[in-house]
Amino acid sequence: MMAVAVLLPLISGILVFLIRQYQIRGLIVVLTAIALIINSILFLKRGPFEYTPEGFNWGLAITVLDYVILLFYIYAGLSLRNWLVLIFALTQIVPLAYWEFGMGAHVELEPAFVVDHLAVVMTLIISIIGSLICVYAIRYMYDHEHHLHLEKSRQSRFLFWLVMFLGAMNGLVFANNLYWLYFFWEVTTLCCFQLIAHDLTKEAINNAARALWMNSLGGTAFVLAMIYLYVNHGGADALSVQNIIGGGISQAAALLPVALLCFTGFTKAAQLPFQSWLLGAMVAPTPVSALLHSSTMVKAGVYLVVRLAPAFSETYLGIMVALVGAFTFLGASGLAISQTTGKRVLAYSTIANLGLIIACAGINTPLAIAASILLIIFHAISKGLLFLCAGTIEHIIWSREIEDMEALAEKAPVTTFITAIGILSMFLPPFGMLLAKWMALEAAYVIPLAAFLFILASAATIVFWAKWLGRLLQVLPRLGRKLESLSFSYSVPLWLLVIGIFVIGIGVAPVYQKFVHFAVNNVVAAEKVFAEGWNILVPGVSAVTAAPAPAAGAYPVWPLFIVFAVALLLPFLFLALKPHELRPVYMCGEQVGDTDTDEWLTAADQKAKIQLGGYYFQNVLGEAALNPWVNTIAIALLLILFGVVLGVVLK
Amino acid sequence: MNQFWIAVIAIIVAPIIGGLLAGIDRKITARLQGRWGPPIIQPFYDLFKLFGKSRIATSRMQLVWIYGYLVFMITCLVFLVLKLDILLLVFLLGFAGVCFVLGGFSCKSPYSHFGANRELLQMLSYEPVLLLTALGIYAQNGSFMISEIFNRPEPLLASLWPIFIALLVILTIKLRKSPFDISTSHHAHQELVKGIMTEYSGPYYALIQLTEWYEIVLLLGIIALFWANPLWVGILIALAAFVLELFIDNIAARMTAGWMVRFSWAIGLVLCILNIAYLYLMKGVS
Repeated sequence: MMAVAVLLPLISGILVFLIRQYQIRGLIVVLTAIALIINSILFLKRGPFEYTPEGFNWGLAITVLDYVILLFYIYAGLSLRNWLVLIFALTQIVPLAYWEFGMGAHVELEPAFVVDHLAVVMTLIISIIGSLICVYAIRYMYDHEHHLHLEKSRQSRFLFWLVMFLGAMNGLVFANNLYWLYFFWEVTTLCCFQLIAHDLTKEAINNAARALWMNSLGGTAFVLAMIYLYVNHGGADALSVQNIIGGGISQAAALLPVALLCFTGFTKAAQLPFQSWLLGAMVAPTPVSALLHSSTMVKAGVYLVVRLAPAFSETYLGIMVALVGAFTFLGASGLAISQTTGKRVLAYSTIANLGLIIACAGINTPLAIAASILLIIFHAISKGLLFLCAGTIEHIIWSREIEDMEALAEKAPVTTFITAIGILSMFLPPFGMLLAKWMALEAAYVIPLAAFLFILASAATIVFWAKWLGRLLQVLPRLGRKLESLSFSYSVPLWLLVIGIFVIGIGVAPVYQKFVHFAVNNVVAAEKVFAEGWNILVPGVSAVTAAPAPAAGAYPVWPLFIVFAVALLLPFLFLALKPHELRPVYMCGEQVGDTDTDEWLTAADQKAKIQLGGYYFQNVLGEAALNPWVNTIAIALLLILFGVVLGVVLK
Repeated sequence: MNQFWIAVIAIIVAPIIGGLLAGIDRKITARLQGRWGPPIIQPFYDLFKLFGKSRIATSRMQLVWIYGYLVFMITCLVFLVLKLDILLLVFLLGFAGVCFVLGGFSCKSPYSHFGANRELLQMLSYEPVLLLTALGIYAQNGSFMISEIFNRPEPLLASLWPIFIALLVILTIKLRKSPFDISTSHHAHQELVKGIMTEYSGPYYALIQLTEWYEIVLLLGIIALFWANPLWVGILIALAAFVLELFIDNIAARMTAGWMVRFSWAIGLVLCILNIAYLYLMKGVS
């Protein structure tokens, strides 16, 4: 099982790389996807276990590959003449080499892998959603290259990195040995670099280099944390994740390395001020974005922070982590309002949601952790779907601009319908993101400042989603409609994700009870299950009175069912109850002719097409206006975070 | 089953109250402007007349959203009368607003688009204050459940009066009264025509009216929560707040959208934050 999860993607990747035939290559990807999905479900069935691979010196292999990757970074830095890449490659390899060869560190740990419920949740996300995205990529890259008129196909190479990415992520979530985790971490950074640079335009390479140095900065923090733990806490045993979170090392002593690891998580999850690499990643073909945003890369960052949550519970570090996350939620949501490109809106929204997840990890109550894990799940499904939709739309209208998507409902009703579900699932009942947001806010009262940031951010998110949806669904009267046909490799992942959104959204309470609850227990001990039947209840806090506590909040599902049923029924009712007449819009008598609404008379009776657009507030909320502020505050928060931790350590 | 009947009664009675309030609104406004004004039940005549008109629309999409607006608003009301989670209620109220905005966006009309964009700005200005109100109630009660508010002996108003003031500002925005009638206007002097509502007519316009009646009752109900024991005091306070809004509506001129956001965030948020911060300091963070 472990071999299938971690090694199969690598082997299939190599096969895909070698075989240059479209059909066979596609078949391999599909078969790998099926194997990974079945395998992840087997993990769910089997439950927690520990595992150390034997029979081969895996530790040595990983060490060697580690240096190969780092040497590649140095090579990349030199050949691209990007000094930041070079510097941060050196800051990783030099301490690492000194540690291993200068100090003679030898990191062998048992168990090397620990599969607990949290890891199972992650591997389900990675294997199912990630695989669907790989399937989508088969056809997408074909169309992509045809549009670019490339002479030499690079599809094999692309799929190689894409499929291998899944293996690295699986290894990352299972690893108990921090050194192995670091290795998988670096593999994801490498895959990300290769995938962003895929198109080999100047912009793509520059953005890939930026992603590389920012993640290498995080990697440096990772290396430092490992060395610190190894030196100060008695050798290799200190590098066991279970030890760090299980109290094997006292909380105060582990605070500094944990802070460093959280910092690593921030860089990977593109938290402010490291958001620019993820936005830069938007130049890559859309399946890359879908994969990075939903099931890999950034999810590794939040996974690490959530995983480490017990190590900073009830410390100032926890509060600072919550504030960094909450501030990112607000900052990224604000920036998203001013974006005119669909993919950039999605990118900022991802950063915002990751901030919310990290903030929940920082808040660290059972409810908050439950919210963070639910957010990881729902966000993965919704964002995966939305990015695939963005890619499909791009291949229909060859544009990413939101304004160009005006009245897409006329050109591509099916795609628009799916996209609309994706967008609605980000904030509308009965879909799960609403529940997760509700839980997050219910949990946030412990840190009022975080709650306040949540509230402002939550108001901002509505604006950009509604605006985008409004552009998509604007419908012109009296135009012929026909359903567009999507190719197999497009439509299967899209529809499966749509079904996933509905099933998990509606059945969230049972899903929570049977499955997520245990993952929450892997992080914090939650005695009470929040779900009762189909409803989610938040138990009150009445430690003082000892009386049976009134519920602090309840998320009853039945009204949502009613809303949902009515909402489903109405459009159908509506098709039956046609209006007597569809008329052109009111133009104060200024339109050309009687019925045509597309043209109207402007100054001096000139004819002009109506042009409509959303508000983007570039002056107030644009990147140029907001970035200096946002980045300064984010850096200040990080400085305070480390200041607080150093204060504790030095005392 | 008891809860079921409460919900049914609320759904039936709310629009009647809302319609009467709309009638009172028109009467008082007329008197303030030196006119006699229509009878108080005029809004009902209007509504039935509108329902009888032929169904004309500019696109089917907008009609779907209008039904969504109505359904979500009714759900919010049900949440209120069943004394459920107020945080969820505020979220749902937000979605009702989103449906309305999407209705405005779904036809190619400049007026409708103006209105929809501005309606979004309105949401941006009132949403945080409503959420902070929920948080303030939590800070005072230790619970987001509305039922817990009724279990308290002393009224919320005693400790949450700054939030109450912020809520009054929000009420003006929510009811689209001057100086915040920026997305649509009931006064006949507008460059907006009727903003986001321009493209609705006949029965569909009647649906919007109906939703607004539900909304008035819902908002006044939230205000009444501030003096829930005994509830009749709260209801009187809510009615006083309503009349106050009418006076403000008639003496104020419309302001720009940017001003609205700045004003509501500056006044509303500051009041809410001070209030919540004070409560936390008094009680200590649990």
